[in-house]
Amino acid sequence: MLRSNTSRIWGPQTALALTLVCATGAAADPAPITNGVSQIAVTLTGENGGACVLDHDSAKAGPVTFTVTNTSAPAISELELQSDNRILGEKENLAPGLPASKFTVTLDGGSYQIYCPNAAQDTVAFTVTGTAKRASGSTADLLKEGTQGYAKYVDGTVDAMLVATKRLQAAIDAGDLETAQADYAKARPFYERIESDVEGFVLPGFAPTDNAGNLDYLIDMRASNLDPDIGWHGFHAIERDLFQRQSIGSDTQKRAAELTANVTKLDALAKGLHYAPEDLANGAAGLLEEVQSGKITGEEEAFSHIDLVDFAANIEGAQQAFAFLEPGMMQIDPDLTRTINARFATVEGMLKDYRDPKALGGYVTYTPERRKADARKLSQAIQSLQEPLAQIAEKVATAG
Amino acid sequence: MKKTLFPPPSKPAAKASALTRRGLMMGAAAGGMGAALRPAAAQADEAMPPAPDPMSDAANPAMHVSYPFYRSAGGPRAQAGIATPPQRYTMFMSFDLSTQDPRVLQVLLARWSAAIGLLMQGETVGAVEPSRPEARGLDTGEALDLGPAGLTVTIGFGPGLFRPELGLSAHRPALLEDLPVLPSDAFSPIFTGGDLSLQACAEDPQVAYHAIRDLARIAKRTGAAVTRWTQMGFGRASAGKGQVTPRNLFGFRDGTRNLREQTEFDRYVWVNDGPDWQRGGSYQVVRKIEMRIENWDNDQISDQNAVFGRHKASGAPLTGTAEFDTPDFHKTGPDGAFVIPDNAHIRMMSHEMNDGVRILRRSYNYTDGLDPVGRLDAGLLFVSYQNDPAHFIRLQRKMGTADALGEYVSHIGSGIFFTPPAPREGSYIGAEMFA
Repeated sequence: MLRSNTSRIWGPQTALALTLVCATGAAADPAPITNGVSQIAVTLTGENGGACVLDHDSAKAGPVTFTVTNTSAPAISELELQSDNRILGEKENLAPGLPASKFTVTLDGGSYQIYCPNAAQDTVAFTVTGTAKRASGSTADLLKEGTQGYAKYVDGTVDAMLVATKRLQAAIDAGDLETAQADYAKARPFYERIESDVEGFVLPGFAPTDNAGNLDYLIDMRASNLDPDIGWHGFHAIERDLFQRQSIGSDTQKRAAELTANVTKLDALAKGLHYAPEDLANGAAGLLEEVQSGKITGEEEAFSHIDLVDFAANIEGAQQAFAFLEPGMMQIDPDLTRTINARFATVEGMLKDYRDPKALGGYVTYTPERRKADARKLSQAIQSLQEPLAQIAEKVATAG
Repeated sequence: MKKTLFPPPSKPAAKASALTRRGLMMGAAAGGMGAALRPAAAQADEAMPPAPDPMSDAANPAMHVSYPFYRSAGGPRAQAGIATPPQRYTMFMSFDLSTQDPRVLQVLLARWSAAIGLLMQGETVGAVEPSRPEARGLDTGEALDLGPAGLTVTIGFGPGLFRPELGLSAHRPALLEDLPVLPSDAFSPIFTGGDLSLQACAEDPQVAYHAIRDLARIAKRTGAAVTRWTQMGFGRASAGKGQVTPRNLFGFRDGTRNLREQTEFDRYVWVNDGPDWQRGGSYQVVRKIEMRIENWDNDQISDQNAVFGRHKASGAPLTGTAEFDTPDFHKTGPDGAFVIPDNAHIRMMSHEMNDGVRILRRSYNYTDGLDPVGRLDAGLLFVSYQNDPAHFIRLQRKMGTADALGEYVSHIGSGIFFTPPAPREGSYIGAEMFA
């Protein structure tokens, strides 16, 4: 039996849990196998401050189904299968009174832990004997592939932003207001898709708190948050000229040239960035925060009112980041993955109603009247996406 | 130091050092629905920390009161927060369903029930500061260390919950339907309706607020429901058994003739028929009633007294000398007119004048600051419980047409919900609908 294998590195918590399990004399016989799948029943009870009880504490290598029932533990709402603090599978929404829920994982021989947050004894040891072939790469491998794919997406987006910014500059240099307005709306979405990944960049030689070297400040600062020492630069200063003042001056041309220069710097810095899986998750969550704080309120595009263009771009960026995590997430928590996909679909479906190919940027103008009528509906849909999406960083950061 | 929106409740400082939280909570469990306010000197815990600052939350016995959420064998069937003596603060919120999948609603009700069970014991819903750096704690943390503070959270089901798409039509409580249009309704759509309601009441506003905040997060996380309207309330404006009758923002005692006895609750509040899972439930009516504060404040005292039919300071009916004197609705003055005028509020609403109809009032005062033209924006979050919504409707038809108080109030929000009985441990509210 591998149960007494002490050569593995155990956290203090795990070691304690193992002692407790031995002391309470949990069943030592391996789990029964039905149709080639080992069957483990896990019961969450409120006894002794909350406990997570397995009917068998070992199984043969291969597919294992955990059937989880919360009989009386209000404090325990989730359960994870871990190996050395890496999450291999999990189940959420385990409130008392709900029908049993299941998850199946293929496990190789070794020591595992069942982790039930908020149980008095929150970790229970579980042992798998023998060896099993995994059909696909590990969750960590899938997530790593995802981060590599996402890095290419960011690179491509910043490249496209540079092209669109140069086009905007050309229209401004030509003094063509109508074309410049259209090109402004075309350039905006690129930044909005990836802004949570690039907003931390500080140019070499500047202190992190100095806005003069903060690329996000120089590219995307809104009128409401200006640093008087540095002045107004970037997209929104140009937006003000094009949509409020409705004229192109030499100051506008100067701003456009400066914007191109800063986006060029951004493009160089974004190249070769590496991302951890939780960066994608946190980035996606950050883009939704942007929607909630800047777009729903109509603050982002105060002069052009193309907030819905930015809104759609934030969603697209968040959806892309999530899509690159999805293969790994499907192994960790398929229910949550499906939930998030469904919520994205709801938001995207809602945005479709606002599409207008004739409008600037392809979406209807977000007028104060439209905001008054629709902001609540849009915000509610985003809130219902934010909550589950915010949960995935923890999962992918600790995935095995 | 936590922030309180309203003046903190008075604190019996002299008793504070004799209290232990554990003793109080054990007292609450033993006393069932009764508050556990007994000095615990005899059971003082040896590990007790030094006597706290007498003005601190910890020294306030009200912060240590807890009520059971789950129904115990032989205990009352109803959810807490109805017969519970009204706490000082409330946070009410209603929700719209955002799913067509009954399983998602089932998860919400089960998770809400589990979370309420924890919150009412002063516990958090999961870790406030999870150990993993990337984790987002579900519990928002602002009630940590405040204690249970007498928290109750009462779940209500609106008429819209029993929709065919969810397959729940057959479970609709017999009398649950949208309220009809009533005289003087002046609703703002932002304060009306809802498919689900949560009424949190506590001795501390932050504890009540925190409960609703956590539960709203669970609603969004499960995807079952989204927020619809909310109201915070203070200064319990309806007396419960054993309580000194509090005052509404008109300065008058409110609830002198409220229901207090078990027999009255059985007769007027609890639903006693229909499927077993509905028995011991009740119908909850919530009305946001705006008061015309400036007009009221400048009304002469004799008129104010005539509007209510009571004396402002003592609460005595105009025909009596003490608060609990029974009003004499037939007594006339020298001019031959009734001493308690025809349109006085206590006459219009009295069971004597309404074929014996009575409802439980469990209201709170509210303020939303100033209105757009600079008037005090305040009023009453009226909450009533009754075993037939027709009883409320009958009273409100009179209130909206002939009651003298009508000149000073406007009903700007409304909702109706069925509050099912409490679940047993291991189950959740409404579980029977999904069996």
